[in-house]
Amino acid sequence: MQENLTFLMGKFPAALPGNLHYARNHMWCRPTDSRLRFGFTAYAVRLMQDVYFLDWQVSPGDAVELMQQIGHIETSKAVADLFAPIGGKVVEFNSELLNDPSPINLDCYAAGWLFEMEGDTAGTMSAAEYYQFLDQNWEKTQRMLKGHM
Amino acid sequence: MSRYRLNVVLSQAQGRNPAKRALEESLAAALLMEPGLDLSIVPYLYDLDADHTGRLFLESVQGDMVVLGWMYPRAAFWLLDRDGIKGHFGESQLKPPAADDEDEDREPEPPQGIGSLNVPDRTIYCLDLRDFDNHKAYVEEVQRIAAECRGRHAAKEAEAARAKLIPVELGLARAGVAPAPTPSFAPEQLLAQPDRRWYPVIDYSRCTNCMECIDFCLFGVYGVDNQDRILVDNQDNCKRGCPACSRVCPEQAIIFPDYKTPAIAGAPVGGISGLKIDLTKLFGGGDAIAIAAQERDHELVRDGREAVGLSVGIPKRQVNKDQQPKDEMDDLMDSLDAMDL
Repeated sequence: MQENLTFLMGKFPAALPGNLHYARNHMWCRPTDSRLRFGFTAYAVRLMQDVYFLDWQVSPGDAVELMQQIGHIETSKAVADLFAPIGGKVVEFNSELLNDPSPINLDCYAAGWLFEMEGDTAGTMSAAEYYQFLDQNWEKTQRMLKGHM
Repeated sequence: MSRYRLNVVLSQAQGRNPAKRALEESLAAALLMEPGLDLSIVPYLYDLDADHTGRLFLESVQGDMVVLGWMYPRAAFWLLDRDGIKGHFGESQLKPPAADDEDEDREPEPPQGIGSLNVPDRTIYCLDLRDFDNHKAYVEEVQRIAAECRGRHAAKEAEAARAKLIPVELGLARAGVAPAPTPSFAPEQLLAQPDRRWYPVIDYSRCTNCMECIDFCLFGVYGVDNQDRILVDNQDNCKRGCPACSRVCPEQAIIFPDYKTPAIAGAPVGGISGLKIDLTKLFGGGDAIAIAAQERDHELVRDGREAVGLSVGIPKRQVNKDQQPKDEMDDLMDSLDAMDL
């Protein structure tokens, strides 16, 4: 079991649970039974701030490729297209979020889960690798944020 | 000079959003009370096809024009240009509330596009109705623009008088005395609801005629005109919802006004937008070309054709990542550096 890590975004501590996998698009991945469950990392949530609206453009049962666009999100401070963290089959979306996306902000690693897929974790990172990835890109991202907060 | 009249066009939102309709109504009511303005209302500009009365009306307007619509000014201006409704780009003083003064000081470099051809000597001002929810800001800006146009028109008339030119009925040089819209454009025809359309709009102030879009699109949307300039030729060949070519354009000169993310929908390029940050690059792994290829494959397959991946119409410079040109995030960071945060 890997240790839990914390990445400091300025003063904000972004928790990175050690028992999860991570994708380059700032989603975490937890294998559950025969599926993989995904959600936004605390890093992503901190950048987005309050989620207002979430929209999926693929349906349960659809096969998707790595980085295929699957949806769109709008928050108090940001908009973004969303992309598949791995190639595989989307099996379920967290339908609670479509009425009320606040669990994404309140509990991003549990109640705020986004969707489940069938696929494998090849190509994902460990918490330590994701931490390094964030570290390498933090200065760049920080400068972008300063212009907007 | 008091006879100068400014054409103001209010382009309605799609659908039946009550807040948008309310703004349109109060704005129209206020503008109708303003002297020196000729107000017309048409449906959503982007959806008007060549036969629509609203477009025929717009084509008939000579002289300066203010267009109020529910899209980015850059998107509206260039879609009108494509429709043959051309003019100089009018600068608006209206800035969305979140933009601050620092944006003004740090103007991005002016782009080096091929520009539009046969531009008549009149100015088109496009205003975005999503920026403010109160009509007063727009009325004030229209008044300011009207004063600017009157001043410019008066200066032209004075110069013409000095040169002792016979005022030739060009309609353009005498923009101010153009007659009101002809009665053949009946309101119910003007406002006939068009079907929704989806097609790219080229911003020729940025387009360098590199032709990457025509290489990339496999649906025949792009063509060239008789001067070998790129053109959106078969607009309705474009696959609804697909923005792929916009991601491929190295100058961000391709706009899809209805797309959800600001960069593709025609937000001002470079510098900080007053609106929300677009985090797409962060969540998409930053590889715009790969995403575009995915989107294109999706449309090919839906059309019953073979996916092609990166094997067709991808310029070599894009495939070679080490020499990848600066992307939007890099430009954003550079401009942030210049602000000395």
